[in-house]
Amino acid sequence: MIEKLFLAILITPFLWILLLAFTFFSRIKLNELILSEAVKYLSLLMTIFTASLLGVTFFHAPAFLLLDYPDWIQVGSYQFKFRFIVDLLGSTYAFLASALIGLIFRFSRNYLHREEGYFRFIFLLSIMLFGLMIISFARSLDILFAGWELVGTTSILLISYFYNKPQPVYHASKAIISYRLCDMGILAAAAWAHLYLHSHDFTVISRLLEHAHGGPGVVVIGLFIIWASLAKSGQLPMTSWFPTAMEGPTPSSAIFYGALSVHLGPFLLLRFSEYFSHFPVLLVIVGLIGFCSAIYASLVGRTRSDAKTMLAYATISQVGIIYIEIALGFTNFALFHIVTHASLRTYQFLRSSSLIQDFVENPAVEFNSSIERGSFFENHFSIEFKKKLYIHALHGFHLDFYTQKIINFLFWPFKAYIQLEEKWMESDTKLLKILLRRNR
Amino acid sequence: MRLSSLFLELAPLVSTFFPAIFSLFYEFGKKWQNFIISILAILTLFFAFIFFNENFSSSFGVHHFFDIRFNKISIFIGLLYCGSLFVGLFPLRHSQTISPTFLFYVANGLGIILANNLTTFFIFFVLQRIIPLKGFFREEVGGTYFFQHVLTGICFIALMLFAHQQGLLITPMSEMPSTFFTWPVLLLSFVIVYEAHGIFPFHSWVHDVVGKLPWYEFSAIFLCRAGVLIFAQLLLPSLKYDPDIFKLTLLGLSIFSSIYWSMRGILEFNLSKKTTYFYIAQASLLLTGMQADLTALKGSYLHMMVISISGTSLFSILSFVQQSFSFKRRSQYYGLAIHYPKLATLFCLFGFCMIGVSLGPSFVVEDLVITGLLEYHQYLGLGHVLATCLNGVLFFLLFTKVFLGPSPFKDKPLNMDMSLFEMFPYLMSLVILFCIGIMPSLFLERITW
Repeated sequence: MIEKLFLAILITPFLWILLLAFTFFSRIKLNELILSEAVKYLSLLMTIFTASLLGVTFFHAPAFLLLDYPDWIQVGSYQFKFRFIVDLLGSTYAFLASALIGLIFRFSRNYLHREEGYFRFIFLLSIMLFGLMIISFARSLDILFAGWELVGTTSILLISYFYNKPQPVYHASKAIISYRLCDMGILAAAAWAHLYLHSHDFTVISRLLEHAHGGPGVVVIGLFIIWASLAKSGQLPMTSWFPTAMEGPTPSSAIFYGALSVHLGPFLLLRFSEYFSHFPVLLVIVGLIGFCSAIYASLVGRTRSDAKTMLAYATISQVGIIYIEIALGFTNFALFHIVTHASLRTYQFLRSSSLIQDFVENPAVEFNSSIERGSFFENHFSIEFKKKLYIHALHGFHLDFYTQKIINFLFWPFKAYIQLEEKWMESDTKLLKILLRRNR
Repeated sequence: MRLSSLFLELAPLVSTFFPAIFSLFYEFGKKWQNFIISILAILTLFFAFIFFNENFSSSFGVHHFFDIRFNKISIFIGLLYCGSLFVGLFPLRHSQTISPTFLFYVANGLGIILANNLTTFFIFFVLQRIIPLKGFFREEVGGTYFFQHVLTGICFIALMLFAHQQGLLITPMSEMPSTFFTWPVLLLSFVIVYEAHGIFPFHSWVHDVVGKLPWYEFSAIFLCRAGVLIFAQLLLPSLKYDPDIFKLTLLGLSIFSSIYWSMRGILEFNLSKKTTYFYIAQASLLLTGMQADLTALKGSYLHMMVISISGTSLFSILSFVQQSFSFKRRSQYYGLAIHYPKLATLFCLFGFCMIGVSLGPSFVVEDLVITGLLEYHQYLGLGHVLATCLNGVLFFLLFTKVFLGPSPFKDKPLNMDMSLFEMFPYLMSLVILFCIGIMPSLFLERITW
């Protein structure tokens, strides 16, 4: 029964994507009303499925179900199997994903009404839903990577939703580079796990560690995992793309950077929590990254003036705190924090677009302006120090500047070589000219 | 149905060479390109028929001079070669003017793919390289192309001299004793294979070709490099004999080459160069898998299939778009998605098929190649991961440059997409590619040698 439910969760969004792709290329014009109604029932169905699965896993926790399907690829002795795990962590995230995406579908019905790209939005969000379902229940790194890539790709395409403006496209490119650099981490971790532990299966990795001979190779797996988690969560040093990714429509910003995509980093770390418990040094690194990101985002966020960017920094800051919780071993609490934070941020992002209008024009809405700012630890700092801190925070602590410096440094040998090659090619052409003219 | 093996073996070459020679003397105009596309379609069906006809294997030869072989892998590459060129050219039949010399490229390409003998291989190899030289000499450009190809030609002749005593047949070379594979033989084959693929440090000739030849000619030149791969696979005994340091260098260079081309593409502003560098970066990765181990080798053959179909489709889409929009106009973004929403989607999907996005076929390829590489050397595996990552970045940058951003062509109409009929070959190719991505075993089982 659980297995059938699980299969339904995985197959439903996949079939939906195929249907949408078919309608797109066959030039069947889907009416906006029909599309939004269909998507409403799809999300309702998905929420019921995932809620049922969550109910079952909650009552049976910490027990979990392992599902193995026949070989997908078999080449010589190498086998690639579809391995899934149905546990509390996965089903909680799957439920969160389907419920919040359902909410976004409903919200966008009004928000994107008569928008030209409504179909595209629904299509990309459906792919994201499918990707998240894969990530939630993946039991090995290569399957997790499949979903991870789908989420990343849809995220990029939604940042450039308003594709006829230069800024969103530029910011999408920035996001691509960050994503791809960190996605390497998952591939490398899978490769290292395969090499040192002969498995990428999360459930057996920690058991295999006891028999492994230690050494740097095993620790490196963890480092790669931490690296992979950084871009999606916007943690340091991969922060600078995150606030600029708010160029997409508000519902997509809410779901990606307020709720689901941003929490994939902590989700990955939670999946590996048993592994990390063997290496306290890695937990210290996770904690330090979270701490630095939380402080950084909190300071920079205070200097920003627009609502969505402030929310982006607030999100980074909270995710930083979730990293600290994971580092301290509070894994269940971290999961609880993910769910509550994702829900709150979705609400805040969705509210942000009408907030200013309400603040200015709607007397029926009351705002509590009694919260005093700057009256706590700030009192202990001198005005000079606070001024300096503000200026640095306003410039994002020059993170973009130093990133650019590093990129330039890495590209320098290539640029030098290109110049050399061009000179060499010119001399070749000159020689050919001489040869040709002599023959004539 | 039984056909004479002599007919089968000579049919591809005869059907391309004779019309090519004929075309030099007679002008057929627009009908000519329909004829070329028809030949490609017939050859695709021909190779498909033989490929799916189990247990077909034969060889036609004139001793020590001309030898053509038909085995599973050469037929497979022949099918890919003709099929992908057909997919790329069919949607352009009303807009593009295909030069008569194109059939020479096709004929020589097929010759390279089907050659079973070093002399046969050499003849087609040299003939195909001579064709662009006529244009280069006229314009007094392409110095690097000329000199590098002369060097390869000399290396080839030297290799033939070394191999002469052992017989010139390519097939038995894989069964030769390790004593045959001396350092000179290995080095000569290394130069030939790497230069043919545009792999670092023998890559500079590619710059001379990019932008100077139409995309379909470039594609025809590069796709037949798959034939060189057969040669590489059979001649380079990396799986059995070669010294470790040599294999390590070869693998390292092909990975570095992919990184190099991706970096060049990222730094490049010119669109046709950017696209070509992306394509070559992918092709460089082919050799990596080819030499790592048997798992990676299977992945590489699948990769070859993906690159052939997706790569030519990308070129074809760009070529179609270029009929109405000139990329010579310098712009940060061309914003063509507003004019071609469906082609933009197709371009994006074909690209995803190449860069390892899940559900696409190269996800499987990456998995196989990385696993195979890791079995051999862990840091090379990491290098491959970096190469694929940069390749992905390059594709996204390419896509954003062509299709996203504000359109500088304000005067052009919106929605200028192809008709469904014209898009049909692309759609069929995509279905095949995604079928490979979702059910790779069906295809992997068929790849045998």
